[in-house]
Amino acid sequence: MLLTRLKISGHSMEPQIRNGDFVLASSIPYFFSKPRKGDIVVFKKERRLIIKRIDQVKNYKYKVLGDNKKDSLDFGWITRIDILGKVFKI
Amino acid sequence: MSLTRFLSIFQTKVAFAHCDIPCGVYDPHNMQMAAHTIIRMTELLGKVDRKDEVKAEHDIARITRVKEKHGDLLEDELGTLENDYFKPEHFSEYPKLKGLFEKGVKASIKARQNIDLTACEEALSITQEIAEIFFKTKGVTPVRVKSVYPTEREIVTHK
Repeated sequence: MLLTRLKISGHSMEPQIRNGDFVLASSIPYFFSKPRKGDIVVFKKERRLIIKRIDQVKNYKYKVLGDNKKDSLDFGWITRIDILGKVFKI
Repeated sequence: MSLTRFLSIFQTKVAFAHCDIPCGVYDPHNMQMAAHTIIRMTELLGKVDRKDEVKAEHDIARITRVKEKHGDLLEDELGTLENDYFKPEHFSEYPKLKGLFEKGVKASIKARQNIDLTACEEALSITQEIAEIFFKTKGVTPVRVKSVYPTEREIVTHK
């Protein structure tokens, strides 16, 4: 995923990224540095692209959450290999 | 060239940002209804009156739009159940389940791409199988009943 435009479906990243917004995602930033806490990342789960924010980094694993934390659950831990790119709001 | 126009040259994919909220409200009804709708739309495409070509083109456009929309809905509903409702233990208990989702999406795509009643029937049959598994995981007994839709095919509900 060198550079891909993504259309967002869902509300879990509100208020920063809203349902229907377009964002850019790229793997290029992670050629030079590791994903960090606070980064919004895109990863693949069960054939679907998902975007979440990295909440914790531990032993090369990343705990990701939606920004819309009210009533939200932990999404879980993913690994570096799951992360396809960093997300930028257009 | 505006930024928006420049960015439009890149391929757009959909990324999901939902299901953090544990609403617990899942139901296999919507995907079955969507499958019935694509069957009905496919049947209607075969019945378009060609006497007035302009009217026929208009009707085909509208019917195809609804078929496409409900194909999308079917694929979304399959994705929601697969990714949000069913858990690894369900996939272990019902080894067929994973394949049913894959086949369901493929049948829906085929039904959208073509005027293919067989693909529509397959999509419905798969949603019915998934619905039966869904209700079993909820601890209720699934039953197949004849729908009240013009398709006159079955729908899976529970006792």
